Amino acid sequence: MNLPLPTAVPSPAPEAPHPRAGEHLSGADIIVQILVDEGCEVLFGYSGGAILPVYDAIFRHNAQHLRADGSEPMPLIVPANEQGAGFMAAGHARASGKVGVAVVTSGPGATNLVTPIRDAMADSVPMLAICGQVPTAVLGSDAFQEAPVANIMASCAKHVFLVTEPEQLEATLRTAFEIARSGRPGPVVVDIPKDVQNAMLAFDGACRLPIPGYRARLRATAQSQLGEDACARFFNALAQARRPLIYAGGGVIAADASAALHEFATTFGIPVTTTLMGLGGFDTTHPLALHMLGMHGTAYANYAVEDCDFLIALGARFDDRVAGVPARFAPRAQFIAQIDIDAAEVGKVKAVDWHHVGPLRAALERLLRHGRARAAQPDFSAWHAHLAQLKRAHALDYDRDSVLIQPQAVIEAINRHTRGRAIISTGVGQHQMWAAQYFDFRAPRHWLTSGSMGTMGFGLPAAIGAQFARPDALVIDIDGDGSIRMNLGELETVTSYGLPLKIVVLNNVGDGMVRQWQKLFFDGRFSATDRSLRRKDFVMAAQADGFGWVRRLERKEDLETVIAEFLAHPGAAFLEVMIDPDAGVYPMVGPGKSYAQMITGPFIAERGESAIAPAQTADMF
Amino acid sequence: MKHTLFILLQNESGALLRVAGLFAARHCNIDTLTVATTHDPAISQLTLVMHGSTALLEQVVRQTRKLVDVLDVNTLSLVGTEQRLLALASSA
Repeated sequence: MNLPLPTAVPSPAPEAPHPRAGEHLSGADIIVQILVDEGCEVLFGYSGGAILPVYDAIFRHNAQHLRADGSEPMPLIVPANEQGAGFMAAGHARASGKVGVAVVTSGPGATNLVTPIRDAMADSVPMLAICGQVPTAVLGSDAFQEAPVANIMASCAKHVFLVTEPEQLEATLRTAFEIARSGRPGPVVVDIPKDVQNAMLAFDGACRLPIPGYRARLRATAQSQLGEDACARFFNALAQARRPLIYAGGGVIAADASAALHEFATTFGIPVTTTLMGLGGFDTTHPLALHMLGMHGTAYANYAVEDCDFLIALGARFDDRVAGVPARFAPRAQFIAQIDIDAAEVGKVKAVDWHHVGPLRAALERLLRHGRARAAQPDFSAWHAHLAQLKRAHALDYDRDSVLIQPQAVIEAINRHTRGRAIISTGVGQHQMWAAQYFDFRAPRHWLTSGSMGTMGFGLPAAIGAQFARPDALVIDIDGDGSIRMNLGELETVTSYGLPLKIVVLNNVGDGMVRQWQKLFFDGRFSATDRSLRRKDFVMAAQADGFGWVRRLERKEDLETVIAEFLAHPGAAFLEVMIDPDAGVYPMVGPGKSYAQMITGPFIAERGESAIAPAQTADMF
Repeated sequence: MKHTLFILLQNESGALLRVAGLFAARHCNIDTLTVATTHDPAISQLTLVMHGSTALLEQVVRQTRKLVDVLDVNTLSLVGTEQRLLALASSA
């Protein structure tokens, strides 16, 4: 049963040899050449001893290839901390769909990347991290700035390479890009000892590592097509259904399948709710859209999940923020269908009746063709009317009469200007959920948020990376006072590189989401989440870092004019909004609770049957 | 229930760590683990015994198949005597 390994390193038959094939280059120059070949437009990283040869090669490359306008072809953006570089690369990747690249030194440089790498893994973001490493001669000797990066990252990344043979460097790096962007995308770490960076090598221009197992599985998945039988079973089930619902996840965006999803949903009249990661995968202003579902999803989306009789999961994985109690998720669904690129996600949480493992866009197009050929014209008008009523009766709402500024009003005010066209990044917590709920999302890659890992501090560096990917786009970081503090050093990165980024800090003087849980489950004991005695002055911090427009908004009546002025400013702008510290995120499906037990809060109408359980400390998180 | 996994993997640096790490991260205890090279020095054969439900087995096998170095995964779920016979056979 042993599979023979290919002896020759396979090259995917290039039309012409690489123009530099046969040249003798240093490892560092080879690294830079491959970054160029792979279409890398910007790098993010912080220097250090073990990565010096690569940094020098980048410097020389940029100096020798200056564009006509004097700009560098592959600028190296320096953060305040390597975590910032990692999130910038991730923000770039999320906004562009390309592989984001971070280049850091050994030891602390690499370990500071652990959080962004894990974050990218958890949200399936294609990323490449190049880490310098101590020379092979001292590997494992507890050398200065040595860390077992391959070991540490092996638990976090899609794959890790430690390059100990200089001859393997070129093939490894090219293969790392391939792995990062293929299949279910993810971060790949390449750990490169300094002597490998300095080694003189013959450049091949096309070689790759043999990874026969991975490639065979990838090929099988990529070529897997929905058969006639599978399509027929799907449409037979749909013909039986009266209340079908599409539950679309981040896979729609990763698979570039949002146009196919739109075509599929509108052709058959199937309503769509998306996960946090799927926002933008389906235009939230479309009549069939129910916005986000889940723990803080819209009440009407969650009621739709309760009511649906046919659930179609597309690039979504029933995670605990959506299906906190899998057995009671979509309890009336007679039939659950799932399409995913990752076989391990099928049936992992919830058993399904029909599934397909393969590329989502092709699968949707195949289903569409089949459905059209059999002239499937299901009549879901009663279901549409039901959902329209749910949307009216259980719309998102908040305390509009309060004298304090409500965070939801801030998002609504910004949205009136941006209308789903801005790129929005966030930190993690209440502000993230308000942004998810109250913004319109009309296209993919406009919503950058740390979904699965929930990493505070993500918003600012991710927005920086996104601005490099989309220099002409309006990029707004909606942040919280707790989250932005975590990577506040990157404020100065914004102004140093002249980015026209807009930053909004919704300041509720503490960790609002944790406080919300402490109110609900810990009798309001705000252990370590109140910041009222802290000294931080965000306005002065932004001014000190050179923001040209800085403002603290404290009066509700100024909201509209200040937002207009803030967004109209051509350069970097920083707006701190002192919001109602007691504002909560609703609806809320408590941990370990089903959608039927959703708390809609004081301002959204509830549908009955919801039993608000007494506050209790549960293991569920 | 005990399950035996036969994993063929490329003999790359860190490959064993990635397999063992995956089982640890997925909260799946490894009872025994043996690694040997095959007639092809570039390929290792890893034999691993774990216990748990078939659902856990299925999930961990699917996750193992996602590891880049893994070429092939086969499983055998046996009980009692058969398991001991297999243990004897593999130690022979």
